[in-house]
Amino acid sequence: MLRKASSFPEEMLEHVLSFITSDKDRNAVSLVCKSWYEIERWCRKRIFVGNCYAVRPEMVIRRFPELRSVELKGKPHFADFDLVPDGWGGCVYPWIAALATAYPLLEEIKLKRMVVSDESLEVIAKSFKNFKVLVLSSCEGFSTDGLAAVAANCRNLRGLDLRESEVDDPSGQWLSRFPDSFTSLASLNISCLGAEVSFSALERLVGRCPDLKSLRLNHAVPLDKLANLLRGAPQLVELGTGAYSAELQPDVFSNLAGAFSGCKELRSLSGFWNVFPGYLPAVYPVCSGLTSLNLRDANIQGADLIKLVSQCRSLQRLWVLDYIEDIGLEELAACCKDLTELRVFPSDPYGAEPNVSLTERGLVSVSEGCPKLQSVLYFCRQMTNAALVTIAKNSPRMTCFRLCIIEPRAPDYQTLQPLDLGFGAIVENYKDLRRLSLSGLLTDRVFEYIGTYAKKLEMLSVAFAGDSDMGLHHVLSGCAKLCKLEIRDCPFGDNALLANAAKLETMRSLWMSSCSVSFRACKLLGQKMPRLNVEVIDERGPPDLRPENCPVEKLYIYRTIAGPRFDMPGFVWTMNGDSV
Amino acid sequence: MELQLGLRSLPTYNFIENFDLNNDGFEPKDQMLGSKPWISCEDGNNMDNKRSSEVAFGKNTRYASRELPLLLWSGQPNDEDDWNGEKKISCSINKNGEEENRVEGWPPINSWRRKVLHHDQDQARNVMNSSRMAAAGNYENGDGSNSKYVKVKMEGVAITRKIDLRLYNSYQTLTKSLTSMFAKCQNLGNDAARYSLTYQDKDGDWLVAGDVPWQSFMESVQRLKIVRNAG
Repeated sequence: MLRKASSFPEEMLEHVLSFITSDKDRNAVSLVCKSWYEIERWCRKRIFVGNCYAVRPEMVIRRFPELRSVELKGKPHFADFDLVPDGWGGCVYPWIAALATAYPLLEEIKLKRMVVSDESLEVIAKSFKNFKVLVLSSCEGFSTDGLAAVAANCRNLRGLDLRESEVDDPSGQWLSRFPDSFTSLASLNISCLGAEVSFSALERLVGRCPDLKSLRLNHAVPLDKLANLLRGAPQLVELGTGAYSAELQPDVFSNLAGAFSGCKELRSLSGFWNVFPGYLPAVYPVCSGLTSLNLRDANIQGADLIKLVSQCRSLQRLWVLDYIEDIGLEELAACCKDLTELRVFPSDPYGAEPNVSLTERGLVSVSEGCPKLQSVLYFCRQMTNAALVTIAKNSPRMTCFRLCIIEPRAPDYQTLQPLDLGFGAIVENYKDLRRLSLSGLLTDRVFEYIGTYAKKLEMLSVAFAGDSDMGLHHVLSGCAKLCKLEIRDCPFGDNALLANAAKLETMRSLWMSSCSVSFRACKLLGQKMPRLNVEVIDERGPPDLRPENCPVEKLYIYRTIAGPRFDMPGFVWTMNGDSV
Repeated sequence: MELQLGLRSLPTYNFIENFDLNNDGFEPKDQMLGSKPWISCEDGNNMDNKRSSEVAFGKNTRYASRELPLLLWSGQPNDEDDWNGEKKISCSINKNGEEENRVEGWPPINSWRRKVLHHDQDQARNVMNSSRMAAAGNYENGDGSNSKYVKVKMEGVAITRKIDLRLYNSYQTLTKSLTSMFAKCQNLGNDAARYSLTYQDKDGDWLVAGDVPWQSFMESVQRLKIVRNAG
């Protein structure tokens, strides 16, 4: 390797680089010069691939020979809402097979929205002797057989996190496959599992792992067994309960309350399926120390809910159902001054009438009372421009703002105007805004505001908004840092897309469904932009059987150096190259 | 607060059939969209701008001779707006046929949660209820459903609530819970005595709750109403 007289010794640069862990910084280092590129690539330990189809595994392996941690994402975000048909893709097996050969010392695999087969899990279990952490977030395609293979073979496993994944459950016995000599577990999240796990195996496992800090159970773990588990792991920092319901019996209650009191390190609580309110006071001893409370699945209402939340004065993160109502959010604003993240989910999203009294006023209260608020996800049924303007002025630290007004195209309910001004204030005031989701009645004007002010915006979600291509054009031409754009049911068509074709290569991906982009424009884009994969998803059949100006159902465009993918199902057509 | 912005127009794309093959460059006729209409990314770290512009300008000779420039500026305001202000409403029946006119994938709730949790909660209630009923010696053969949600309306309160009656095992626990649920909005305090709990049974009749054994009540109740006592 050519070395200039004035350059650092390699070893020194490597040592300095070992302190640089952020992907962005690492990428910047690698662009300085060829020798830095070389040194950097040999000592990079972690890689994050935001779109598994953007690069082939061989390319990653060729560039980074010493990885210890690989993180991949598969399906587009809108797959969470059933907008991506089954069988679309995102199978991880080719990656696992390649990683198994290339990195025998691999320690971590983190996957999101990918299809993971039992076979993949078996390969992971048997290929990496020092495997430590497996995270499967919103994944599917595997069963507890695959998990059994991991349990049986990964002697040094520290973390197994199945958050939100769909797991087939032929047997609940997989937990027993952890050998008795296995004691390294620090984190276990099985909250998504549908069926019972062997409780005795669970209890023994928890009891023999002294480093266990995070334990999230599934609903099938009954409340009367929780106390025993807690006594076996008083060092827990994060706990997800199982079902929180039982006949109210004084000895069960006091046992539980005593067990909770013993968990002095507990900072995060979740779970709470099927809450029987009489048992809530058992957690009161830990409330004052909690920084994170996730009641997203808890059917607690009214005074019980407010009482619980108001005791958690150190709360930084709260996820809750709209049972909390405006009145509960006022209380929250008064009690929890350190709040940085709030998510309010709908308890009855498909009901025609509101079932709770949760309005824009709740969010206004929180913005007024909690100056550190950074991240909001709020489902509600009414909003005003005035409220949004107030919220915009109150929370300068906001980085993620997602508002979902349940009725599509709902206007300001007081003035009947579009919510353009309100969201305009949001983007103008939130200088560090990185993520935004819009809803309600919106014209092209809101996109003009976004293009003008949202200079740090990385992800934008749009539904039922805009009047014309100008809306899309404002966003694509104005938002310098835009990385992911997902759009549904908007009147955006060919013009804006083609005028901003080059922009698409600077983004990770663009999703458009139920819009007005014609097949002809898709073909053109695919032909002209070889480093974009332009994929048409259309379950009506081949798009070339319809007139060229017919809009496609769904369009997914992403930048890639891997070329068109090979694993497309019958309803996905690539617009690249000769196949069109 | 007033944001002063003017909406600018976007030139229309012309899918023209004949064009000048020698015209592999393009002249932006209209500067309205900024100085770099082609490369709209202002991020200086992006090294791809140059290459992508080359591709877009048609210098890539891999393609067939008949190249269309990606965008031809007509220099005219966008008078071919496909939409003309029409709003397309995408309405489709949910795959499960659950509800008519429900928009697919909206509101954006995680579908995993809808599918799995709903099923799990039923199972959980199964587990919990059967053990609870068995313990109480009142094992109910059940009518197949594992939760019993009924609407609860209180006189004078706009919002109708819903509760799962399977969570309760007596009138006492039910009324206690209802009191706390509605107390906040009515400032009831100790005024629970001024209200009565009534219910609509399977025949559609409204009866006062408490007259029949809890189990019979559970089997026939369809909805609840809290009414003010007369006098």
